[in-house]
Parts: sequence; structure tokens; C-alpha cells
Amino acid sequence: MKTSHERPQTQGPPRSEFRMRLLRVILLLALLAGGFFLLQRPGTTASEAVTLRFWNGFTGPDGRTMLKIIREFNQQNPDIRVLMQRMDWGTYYNKLFVASLGGRAPEVFVVHASSLPRFARANLLEPLGPLIAGPAPLPPLPVNDFDPNVWRAMEINHVQMAVPLDIHPLGMFTNERLLREGGFTQPPTNREEFLAVLRHFRNRNADGAPVWGFVFTTFRTNLMAIMAQFGGRLVSEDGQRCLLDSEPNIAALEFCAGLIREGLTPRPENFNAWIGFRQGRVALTFEGLFLLSDLEKQPELDFGGAPLPVLGKQAATWADSHGLCLSPGLAGRKREAAWRFITFLSDHSLQWARAGQIPVRISLRETPEFAAMRIQSAFARQIPYVRYSPRVPFIFEFFTEFDLAVERALRGTLPAREALEIATRRINKAIERDRRENAAPARSPAP
Amino acid sequence: MTSRTRRFSSLLFLAPHLILFVGFLILPLIFGLGLSFYRWEMLSPAPPAPAGLANYTEALNDEYFWRALRATLYFAVLAVPCTLALALGIAVCLNNIPRRQGFYRAAFLLPTMMSVSVVGILWRWFYSNDFGLFNAWLGRIGITIPWISDPRFAMPSIVLMTLWWTVGGSMLVLLAGLQQIPESYYEAASLDGAGRWAQFRYITLPLLRPVLLFVVVTGLIGAFQVFGQTFMVTRGGPELSTRVLVQYIYETAFNHYRMGYGAAMSWLLFLIIAVFAAIQFRLGRSQR
Repeated sequence: MKTSHERPQTQGPPRSEFRMRLLRVILLLALLAGGFFLLQRPGTTASEAVTLRFWNGFTGPDGRTMLKIIREFNQQNPDIRVLMQRMDWGTYYNKLFVASLGGRAPEVFVVHASSLPRFARANLLEPLGPLIAGPAPLPPLPVNDFDPNVWRAMEINHVQMAVPLDIHPLGMFTNERLLREGGFTQPPTNREEFLAVLRHFRNRNADGAPVWGFVFTTFRTNLMAIMAQFGGRLVSEDGQRCLLDSEPNIAALEFCAGLIREGLTPRPENFNAWIGFRQGRVALTFEGLFLLSDLEKQPELDFGGAPLPVLGKQAATWADSHGLCLSPGLAGRKREAAWRFITFLSDHSLQWARAGQIPVRISLRETPEFAAMRIQSAFARQIPYVRYSPRVPFIFEFFTEFDLAVERALRGTLPAREALEIATRRINKAIERDRRENAAPARSPAP
Repeated sequence: MTSRTRRFSSLLFLAPHLILFVGFLILPLIFGLGLSFYRWEMLSPAPPAPAGLANYTEALNDEYFWRALRATLYFAVLAVPCTLALALGIAVCLNNIPRRQGFYRAAFLLPTMMSVSVVGILWRWFYSNDFGLFNAWLGRIGITIPWISDPRFAMPSIVLMTLWWTVGGSMLVLLAGLQQIPESYYEAASLDGAGRWAQFRYITLPLLRPVLLFVVVTGLIGAFQVFGQTFMVTRGGPELSTRVLVQYIYETAFNHYRMGYGAAMSWLLFLIIAVFAAIQFRLGRSQR
């Protein structure tokens, strides 16, 4: 029998050409198949579960806690499937910006209060006003259960852009053993008591190594809190002018620089100095709750938490909040599902508090379970008077100059006044550039 | 096989790398060049607009750009010769030990396998002024060095850490180069009465030149692109003394979201590196 495959055997070249062609066809098919799988999107037909993508920067133990809450939500809401993706905050914001600008934003995402203005200006946020009242079948959000100052921190031009999930104020970590040994029964609450601790530990050693009453850790948050205590404001109400070189801010920075000059606290090393507290060689330090999990790994360290002492004329501290945001233009079941998810997270933020955050729902903070979280509840006492970072679109430029000025003054390179004046000039220039180049509506292209 | 199919199949074999190389390096590079002539602020309601040379003139008038460039040059001037000298020293020593060479080679190479974040965090703790390991040791003999808390010490400290981290890689390349030199040359030289130094000067160094050139050029390119070490240990401080160019570009583009300006500075850095690399190749060739 003559079979078809015998023929090519006698004719060499056509066969190799055939193989080549076959190879090309296979390759093409492979490419197409790959493309097809890439293009496939999770379906959203009525019978299937709605898929929500939820992005955040909770890469530490907090991420695991969040994952548990989401699992619970997915179980209770079989018609919704939430997929969480977490990246470290630096990467996170870049990815979120790029995805949002390309129209591929996740349905629900987290933005810090301090970054909200920039997002809002780029139209990457959905105003939440119509959803908060909870038009049926949506669940309403009990706005009265939020602290007004925290709730307002999520407003841009009187429009609610996010639901605050938590609050993390700067608080005072104390080394209880060092304080006891120094004869201090209570953590300091005012300037005199604070200075007494610092003076007690000046030039003191333990096991041949120096011990300190206080160290500056993160300059930025430490100084924002202390400047607020001295009555300072960082930018004007309308966000159009930098007020960094005003007298209260100068006085606050000068006070801090003085502590270093007098040898009451060591040469500033920014966040690196935190290691000193963990070594048990620092009695007091002002830091955020995100370090709590670090300390809990050290059972030998007898630490406590307290509100910041009042070093200026009024109680104040710095804080930030994670806000839950919706990507703009969601409709129908997606919008409904996203809102149900946000209200669920808010309702379950006590669980979230176990990861080291403070819930912003007043009713949750009144539970015995929260009272038992001793550090969180101590830090939470500061909520009525917390200050957020300036909520301006040029915040990154602002911080670059702020950090440099503070560092110069603390290290004694420049007097506080001069350092702050230089920073103010440069920030005002950035504001001017920002106003000139980013003014909405867009400039028409030059003729 | 016709020449057409041959060309096609060679392209096919090149494709996996070529696609990645063009897609993720060449195209972005060209896109970046175009971008540098635009004013584009990613989070601005204003759309990208042509800006001519404005981004470049801004860079040349930007005090922070010059400061970052100075810091980068300082790093390169310190790090490249030190790495070369130390790596060469270690390689020559290793080449001359008869036993356990593999063990020592691995020991010197080990730090290079760590990620920069791990190295950075470790050395941050070593360097801490009041609570660090180095000053705890030095304190016993009554010395404290403000490793990273004084602008004068910060960059040399970063270089020291970089040496520890990267010297193994250069050492390995140089060692491979040394082992390529035939033993007979040294035998002949010693018969002629050449001492150890003369052998090193007149045999080792000249024959090692291509490898040395490679180490210096790659070292210099790497030094101009330094970022991880300073970012992890000092964040550019104290007082911006270690804020290198790549960090400033990164902050401009990905913190301030000024893409056009960031791209323009990247291209300036590219030009600087290209000029230095060209000079070195010229020097290396003319001495041959």
C-alpha cells in the first residue's frame, strides 16, 4: 500500500519545509494560547461570585491578621470573593498609581490620610457620600461611631473620599525597669517630669555601656508631634503657604536641639536609635505602634506605653490612618460588593487591632477586649488631640525639606531658625511650581 | 537550508532573550529619552506636555542634583580603587596558598551572596553611634567613631561596608585571571633572577591588564549606580551627605512623581557613565 508519508521520504527538501511550517504553526498557536489566558478575566455574570481585588501594604504580621478577616468575610458572603494583594508601601503606591492611571485599579485599596490629596487630585478615588447613608440594599455606616477628627481626615474639599480603618498615633514607649530603678513610679506627663528623667540618666552607665533617658528616633514624626505641642502649624489652612518658620515651630525645634547640646540625649541618628530602646538602654522614646510586634518578641524587655508628655503648651501628637478607598466608576453588583466589604472591615476592626492598630470605631474601643490591649489603649487616649501630616498634594517635597531642616538643627549644623527659614523658602517654591504646573483644569497645549 | 530559513531559525533561538532585552531595556530606554523632553507629573490633572530642554536646564541649576552627583563621585573615587587594591591583594594571596584555597575563596565570596537589605540592616546596627557593635568594641579602648552620624564619616563608612560586601566578586574574577598566567613565565623569570616584586610588576600586572580593565569598568559603572547601600544604611543622610544620584532620581520619579525630570537626570547619569567608561577603554587599549 502506498502511504502518503512515503512520498516525502523520497523528496528531502519539501519535508523539512513542511516541518518548518509546522513549527511556525505550533509557535503561533502557543503564542495565541498564552495571550488568550492572559486576556481572560474573572467573570462577573449574575450567577457567579463577584471578585473584588483588595490591595494594601500590610506585609508584616498585620497582613496575616487581615487575611484572616478576609477569609471570614468570604465565608459569610459566598456571592463575593475578595482577593488580597500586599506589597511593601513604597512599591505599593507606585503600582497603585500606575494601575489606576491605566484604568486597572483594584476595586478596593488602602491609602494613608497623608497621601489622600494627591490621589484625589488625580481623580483616582470614588466619592463615598452616596454610599455612606446605605441606600437599600447596602448596609449604612454609623458615622457617629467615628471620632470626628479622624473621620474628617478622610475628607477632601468636604467630600468623603475614604473610610478610616484605624489610627496609629505616635506614643511614648517606656522601659519600665529603667524608670523603676531611677525612682520614677509614673511615666512623665509634662516637661518637668520628662526633663527629670533625662537628667537622671545623663552620663549614666549600666554594665559598662551608657544608658539614656530619651533618644530621638524618627525625626519627622517626633518633631511634627512636638511642634504641634508648641502650637505650631506646618502649612496654612488653604494649603497654599508653608508656615514652618513660624515662632512656635522654631521654639519647638530649638528645644529639641537644646536637649542634644546639653547632653541629655545622644547625637541624633534618626530611626537607627530605636535599637537602643530594644537593647534596654533607653528609658523613653516616641514611636509608633507598628513597632509593638518587635517588642513583643523580647519577653525580657519590661516595656510600657503612655501618651506623649506635654513638652510645649498643649497636648498633641502626630498620627496617620489607613483609609479604605473605592476605585471610581464601579457600578452595579461590584459597587455593592465593594461597599459591603468596606463596612465589614470597619465593623471588624477590633480584630484588626490585634495587629497593633487602634480601631477608629468608638464602640469597639469601649470593649473590655480593647481595654486589655494595654499599649494600644494607652496610645488611644491621645485620639482627641492627634494631628495628621499636612494634607497637601506637595507632601513629598514638603517632607524632603522638613527632614533636612530638622536634621540640620538637631545636629547643630544650623540654628533652628535658619534651618526652618531655608526649608520654608524651598517648600514655598515647590508650592508655586505645583500651582503653576498642576493647576486644574489642564492647560491647553501651546499653539 | 536557505539563508532565509537560517536567518529565521537563528532569530528564533535568539528570541527569548531578544524579546526581553528589547521589550524591557531598549524600548524603555528610548521611551525614557523621549520622556526627558516632556513635563509629566504622574499625579497631576495636567496632561504631559512637551518641555524642550527645560528638564535638563533644571537639573543643571538644581543644587540637589549637584550635591547628589558630588556624593556619587566621592563614592566612586573611594570605592573603585579600594575594591581593586583589596581584591587584587586577596587574589594574589589566595593564588599563592597551596591548600584550602577553595575554602578561603568561598569565605571571601560569601558576603556577596547576601541581599543588600540584609547587609544594610546588619551594618546599620554595627555602625550605630551609641548602640552599635563597632563603637561598643572601640569604647573599651576609649574611642568612639561617629560612623554614620557625621557627614565626614558617613560616605567612607558606606565604602567600608561596600568593600566587605562586594570585594569577593572582583577577587574571584582576578583570581581566575591569575590562574590563566602560565607557571613557566614565573619559572623563567626566577631563573633570570627576578624577585617576587619584579615578577608581580613585570609578569602578573601586564598579563592581568584585560581582567583589571574589566574589574575597573564594571566597578565604576556599579559605583555610579550605587543606591542600595546608602538607602538601607543612611537613607541619604546625615544632611544629604550620602544621598547619591540614583536615590535622588528615584525620589524625584517615584516619590514626587516627576517622571520627566527623573528621566532627564537618568540620561545625564547615563552620559556621565558612558564618558568614564569610554575614557577607561581608551586608556586600557593605549597601554596595551
